[in-house]
Amino acid sequence: MDMFFYSLAIQLAAVLAVILLRSNRIASAAVHLLLLIGLISGLVPTLSALIVADAPVQNFCICGIPNDLFRFDALGLYFLAIVQLVAIPTTIYSYSSLKHYMDKGKSVKQLLVVYPILLVATQLTVVSNHSILFLVCWELMSTTAYLGMVFEKEKRDVQTGSFYYLVMNHVVVFILYVFFFLLHRQANSWLFSDFHVSPDTGSLFILLYVLALVAFGMKAGFMPFHFWLPRAHPIAPTVFSSFLSGIIIKTGIYGLFRTFQFLNPTPEWLGWLVLTVSMISAIFGVWYALAQHDIKRLLAYHSVENIGIIGIGIGIGFIGSAYHSLPVQVLGFGGALLHTLNHAIFKSLLFIGSGVIYQNLGTRNIELMGGIARRGRFFAILFLVGSVAISGIPPLNGFISEFIIFNGFFTTARELKNYYPLLMLVSTVGLAFVGGLAVACFTKINSIMFLGDERKEIKHFHISVYDYLSLGIFAMLCAAIGFYPQPFVRVINDVLSRSFVPGNSSSALLSINWFYISLIFLAILAGFILIYIWKRRINKKYGRKISPAWGCGYERLNPRMQYTASSFADQLNVISRTVLGYHKRIKPPAEIFPAKNKFESHADDFVDSKIIMPWFKKINAFISRIELLNYSDIRYYVAFILIVISIYSLIGFLWI
Amino acid sequence: MQNVLSIIFCLSLFYLAVTSRVKAYVTVLQIQGAILTVLLLYPLIEHFSVPALILPATLFIVKVYLIPKYIKKILVDLDIKRIIEPTIQQFSFLLLIIFTMTVVFVATNILSKSTEIETIPFASGFSAVAVGMFVIIFRKKLIIHVAGFLVLENGIFLFGSTIASKLPMMIELGSLLDIFVVVFLMGIALNKISSTLSGFEATALRRLKD
Repeated sequence: MDMFFYSLAIQLAAVLAVILLRSNRIASAAVHLLLLIGLISGLVPTLSALIVADAPVQNFCICGIPNDLFRFDALGLYFLAIVQLVAIPTTIYSYSSLKHYMDKGKSVKQLLVVYPILLVATQLTVVSNHSILFLVCWELMSTTAYLGMVFEKEKRDVQTGSFYYLVMNHVVVFILYVFFFLLHRQANSWLFSDFHVSPDTGSLFILLYVLALVAFGMKAGFMPFHFWLPRAHPIAPTVFSSFLSGIIIKTGIYGLFRTFQFLNPTPEWLGWLVLTVSMISAIFGVWYALAQHDIKRLLAYHSVENIGIIGIGIGIGFIGSAYHSLPVQVLGFGGALLHTLNHAIFKSLLFIGSGVIYQNLGTRNIELMGGIARRGRFFAILFLVGSVAISGIPPLNGFISEFIIFNGFFTTARELKNYYPLLMLVSTVGLAFVGGLAVACFTKINSIMFLGDERKEIKHFHISVYDYLSLGIFAMLCAAIGFYPQPFVRVINDVLSRSFVPGNSSSALLSINWFYISLIFLAILAGFILIYIWKRRINKKYGRKISPAWGCGYERLNPRMQYTASSFADQLNVISRTVLGYHKRIKPPAEIFPAKNKFESHADDFVDSKIIMPWFKKINAFISRIELLNYSDIRYYVAFILIVISIYSLIGFLWI
Repeated sequence: MQNVLSIIFCLSLFYLAVTSRVKAYVTVLQIQGAILTVLLLYPLIEHFSVPALILPATLFIVKVYLIPKYIKKILVDLDIKRIIEPTIQQFSFLLLIIFTMTVVFVATNILSKSTEIETIPFASGFSAVAVGMFVIIFRKKLIIHVAGFLVLENGIFLFGSTIASKLPMMIELGSLLDIFVVVFLMGIALNKISSTLSGFEATALRRLKD
């Protein structure tokens, strides 16, 4: 695995390149080239180590002396592969996106320095074996992401949004410190490989799980803790929002898997807890997404939904662990792992797509978009691929992972009897409902953004070859996992049997008949192609006629009179008005010749506006009431520090 | 030898309290840096090894040469007044330091009976931390705050070197780099704010609050 560290060195050399090269453009080219070389040279050994099933767990060696700081076990390798795989196309896009900033005359040195460090820190996070090293890398990853996020710091919403992210990170790291200290006290070691706590420890076991769920759940964005996602994602530069949504929130999932490795078997109620929270995240995530107008905010809510789906898989796995049922564990955890990879791929595709649109139109508001398909036909198809994948429709990858999770439900119902069949039925309906709403949501954005007429005049629409390359790689990956899932499923099966579910011989994952699924998918594809050819022939034969939209007899139609995103989603949003906080403001026309009128629709986040924010406000009010600390002179702060140190010393002194 | 040097270190702290010239602070910092270097070199007489020389050498370069030179450069460049502006009388400041030092020494002496620490260096280090903080609290000039911070760092260094000789060299080197960066940043900040805020006093920073 030495190769991995050389690849990291190449990536870090990119930072050096920024310092040495004065010109922004040359530096950008050098950085991205170095990063690509580094990432590809890192991905190759990772994949080969992942695919060779019998490879022993490797420790990092410095000059032949084994060192416990890093450990390349199957789980770490799997997440490392996700990070590297997704980072490659993101880096390609980053090059063209930074070019865009430079054309506007902005210096991009800040992003050029921060991005390689972010990549390296993220890769180190998932393979570190020492708790403190893990925390350091984790903190470095979070901080560099923050620094990238505040790139356009002169904007007001960037300041507030990034602040939420920063606060979230501080809380997470604080909780993680407590978590690892407790683990250390139990295991008398700082190494992940030595941690193991059995459920016999009672309250400690529960406390550890609660800490891990809160900390990693907050990072991943499960429902009560999702408040930072819709704030932080839209404001970051596209590269960072895509990386944030594709990779960084997945480190929370990674943490949950690691926690399960330390603390198993899980009690049954924990499985239910995770399953319920995830179900809520999935359903409300997608429902809130439906009401959004800002494309990146919408995608951020979809991240909450997908994290929910991953969580459902983990919950099923926990239940399986409680009953010592191998097939249930394999299907639950397997679905979660595959969905983690899938979500990283298609969410990056969608975010980058939205970034391309933002660059060209200068707006993130869906209501102002329209007719983009005519400007970039191929681009529209690529975006559609991402949308189909995220909605979990066959024949793309989203379906495969959700299929595994559905299979998990059915297997749980069959294996665990008791009251499980009924409860699993409810879960199945819930997940299907999520899929339905996701379809509605992506129909909305695809039809409003790509079809119809241009609502706002598009002066110049340009998509560079790098954008196409990056989006194309993601789309290819979506299709690859969709049409030919066997190798991916096999890898996941290996990961599971090597790191979580020892003695996994039955391998419920492999017994699903993947060949038929591939066959059906190919049939679907062939059907599409046939219909398309047929349509072409009919067009050729009878000609094609384009006529204007029917305006109920109204003559002077303009693009503003098209079906809008709000009207599209209105019926669905009205159902959930109370939970969603969806409200419309309109004065119905009273006279025969109505005066100028306006319509507004707005969706609050219930959890956000009713639970999190009032709580924040209370804390804020409480702190500002402590006038004692309200000095702005630095000397008073130092004096306070001195006083506190003296008190601590006194206590320590008396203690001894 | 260690005790003698530590006491000289303590005496330099007293000098900080009574002097009213910025330059004297720089000289004291240089002296303290030299003392620390000698303290680190002293054990090498018995067990000499080349890698062990790295730390004292870096310490000497950073604390005795680079930082004082940089502070002097800032003094000249920004034309800062040479007189410090205390907020309390020199004499009461001296009394405060003597009082603190007494408490620290007595406490350390009691502590040394139950734990394994060397009384004089440990207490000197601890007093330096306290004095550094006092300097920041009772002086208005920003450049003196930097000096106070450096004294504090020296104190940490001193008792760090006494309580555990096991402390990894990397950490010490890291902390050295750390303080150098801090001083550097402070210099840049002072340079930047010199155009808008005059006097380089901490009280003026209050206006920066948003």
